[in-house]
Amino acid sequence: MDTSSIPDYSVSDFSDKDKKDLQTFIENEQQKAKFQANVHSLTDLCWTKCITGKISSTTIDRSEESCLVNCVNRFIDSQKAIVGQLDVMGGRT
Amino acid sequence: MSTIAQQSNIENARTLIEKINEKCFEKCIPKPGGSLSSGESTCLTTCMQKYMQAWNVVSQAYITRIKSDPRGN
Repeated sequence: MDTSSIPDYSVSDFSDKDKKDLQTFIENEQQKAKFQANVHSLTDLCWTKCITGKISSTTIDRSEESCLVNCVNRFIDSQKAIVGQLDVMGGRT
Repeated sequence: MSTIAQQSNIENARTLIEKINEKCFEKCIPKPGGSLSSGESTCLTTCMQKYMQAWNVVSQAYITRIKSDPRGN
């Protein structure tokens, strides 16, 4: 990154509107990055589970596709079940 | 601001390439030989396209899930 090209401004020089816009922009970018990171880890996990045969075609066939979709949904279900169970356990201990 | 967005795109592509290399190496080169055979190269190309397609399927399924269930992600 070429930092020398960034002019010497301070955030305190920004108007309230600019600050708000900047904050919204950063939050959006962070959310996007988090979403993409989640898709990367889900694809990694579900590829291992669903693409089990030899690589012979460039396309995902129907059964692989439905496996991938199920994999994503069941992973999220598991996550919710575990968090829910932790809640129950937390109440008891 | 476009620089930040661009950085994020680069990071995304970098992770994708890293994952493809990891997964497709595993699939296509079970026993590394003295050099990449043409069969292994073909497998890598095929695998790469397939992985990207899988990424899109997963991404779409994840979006659908988040939309139907905004608190469950």
